[in-house]
Amino acid sequence: MEPIDFSQPSRQSSKGILVIFALHTLKFIRRYFVVFLALGLSVIKEESFSFLTPSILTLIITGVVLLILLFAILKYLNFKFYLDKDQFHLSSGIVNKNLTIVPKSKIQNVYIKQNLIQQLINVVSLTIETAGDDKAEIEINALNRANALELKKQLFVKKQIAAADSVEDISESSVYFMVSTKRLLLEGISQNHLKSFVIIVSFVFGLYNEFKDYLQDLGISEQLQSSVNFETGSLFNLILANAFIVVLAILISTLFSIISTFISNFNLKVIENNITIEINKGLFNKLSLILMPVRIQNIIIKTNRLKQALGLHTLSIKQAMVNKKQQKNFKIVALEQHQVAHLVTKVFPLYNGLGPFDKPDVYYKRRLIFRSIIWGLFVNGLALVIFGNFFWSINSIIVPWLALFVHYTYKKSSYQITDKYLTVNSGFIDRVRNISEIEKIQSVQIKQSIFQKQNNIASVHIATASDKVKIPCITEKNAKSIVDYLLFKIES
Amino acid sequence: MFSNQQINLDTLPSIADVDLKPISKQYLKIIIFNRLVFYGIIGFVLFIAKIKVSHPNFQLIFWYLFSAVLLFCILNLMGAIFAFKKRKYAIRTHDVIYSKGLLVNSISVIPVSRIQHLEISRSWLARRFNLGTLKIYTAGDSGIDLRIPGLKYVEAKQINDFLSSKINGAD
Repeated sequence: MEPIDFSQPSRQSSKGILVIFALHTLKFIRRYFVVFLALGLSVIKEESFSFLTPSILTLIITGVVLLILLFAILKYLNFKFYLDKDQFHLSSGIVNKNLTIVPKSKIQNVYIKQNLIQQLINVVSLTIETAGDDKAEIEINALNRANALELKKQLFVKKQIAAADSVEDISESSVYFMVSTKRLLLEGISQNHLKSFVIIVSFVFGLYNEFKDYLQDLGISEQLQSSVNFETGSLFNLILANAFIVVLAILISTLFSIISTFISNFNLKVIENNITIEINKGLFNKLSLILMPVRIQNIIIKTNRLKQALGLHTLSIKQAMVNKKQQKNFKIVALEQHQVAHLVTKVFPLYNGLGPFDKPDVYYKRRLIFRSIIWGLFVNGLALVIFGNFFWSINSIIVPWLALFVHYTYKKSSYQITDKYLTVNSGFIDRVRNISEIEKIQSVQIKQSIFQKQNNIASVHIATASDKVKIPCITEKNAKSIVDYLLFKIES
Repeated sequence: MFSNQQINLDTLPSIADVDLKPISKQYLKIIIFNRLVFYGIIGFVLFIAKIKVSHPNFQLIFWYLFSAVLLFCILNLMGAIFAFKKRKYAIRTHDVIYSKGLLVNSISVIPVSRIQHLEISRSWLARRFNLGTLKIYTAGDSGIDLRIPGLKYVEAKQINDFLSSKINGAD
């Protein structure tokens, strides 16, 4: 393919008008959604706004749409970018003109994304992320895929040659991992459904709170209550109804987990380049992310008993200076054990995961027990308020749960410090392994409460630029020698 | 070539041996002053309420409320005074150490090579006492940023200059 010249100031693809228009319309609707709803409801109920005849309403809507369209066109016309030898220039702004210049060497990440609208009109958006805060980010809304790929290549390749005289990276690339539908389905089923459930519940609650007044006005809540309020006859009916609700909740949560797994990980592909790793995924929002091993701070491997039996591991990769929303995307699901090991060695070449792991002191177990008791008492208190005299019955669930929590949390907690890497294992249901490179540690901290002091126990907190790990409750002597060792490693 | 010598852990410089230096005693006055102002405002609001609110229940519980605030104030002040002795710091060739806390004691260490930038901030009161707060920032938002309050301004400046020169000298 003929290399595309980006050195002349150019606009994005003219389809960009459509994308900008759609984005702003969506933003507009989202912002004034509640207002629309309120208006609509009062119009339906014919309370006021009698001057709002259909024709005037149409006029207003057309006006707003035209205004947004005009805005989109102006924005498109004023959005120009070009690339010179080592800088990316962007001028934008309708009234306030902005000129953004990003040196290539300061570019952290380049993403290619494609949302639903962009998929329909066959363009992609390209995001350039620099170190610094979230706002220092450039997004080009609409580019041909070929153009975007070429731009990405040019942004990355020249920089690397300048930086390290390395071979052209893109030349050797192979698809390392592609997720199959079956594995994705398994991944969805073995998700933590409790999480999905909480999301659904909070979503429904949020909606309810937002529209409480309208619902009351419309009398929906009364209807709901009367339909839910069955004749409280036998205890059997009550149990049956509760069981039904529980089963329904589990089903909905499972479905939600599966769907959300599919949407965010559809067509997940890991491409291995010479130096970098590329992740492609997404159904509605197609993403393409490039990971630079140099910037990777730590890796988190997550699995649980069920997932391990199915051979499913999740790999999260944390880079410095990446905003929270994007951080979520650096996740590869449904990997086999050996694939995880391969990718880890790609990022941390000397990591082998061998060698003995040390365990926290037994004091950690005591502390977990102590905390569980406090938590249990709190829940009991809460239950007393809610259920009255039958509150003790919840202990049949709470007590075994807490016992399991203490047992497994202690069992899974361990750590290992090798010449180059720090590994901390933790988790209760999940099995979480956090690997960080000792060289990239930013700060260390020893924490000790007065109870711990009496027992000569301390915890070590270790921060990298993107994450914080904790080695809980080890002997004070150990903690100090770990800190000494880490500092020696960082500083020498 | 890659070499991998064994390191004798006992020969490493240990943070246990570091002689930590207490911060300026003047800072205790600032802490006490701040706490007193805080509780003073609460007490003041309570008294205003006593005058304005004529509900008999409030008049009844007023003295309970007042003594509770007083108790909290005394406990808080005592805690602050005892914990003050734990506020210590040290500067080594390669790192900065700050230790604090009575109930939960923490010792934070930031290697000089990881410092992103430094800042000295001084409140109105700190300027009266000629004190300053040294803030040390590392990369990333999850990092443990260090804040050493109650340093003598001259000393804070010295440390700041020393660390700045070290950071700049490194690259």
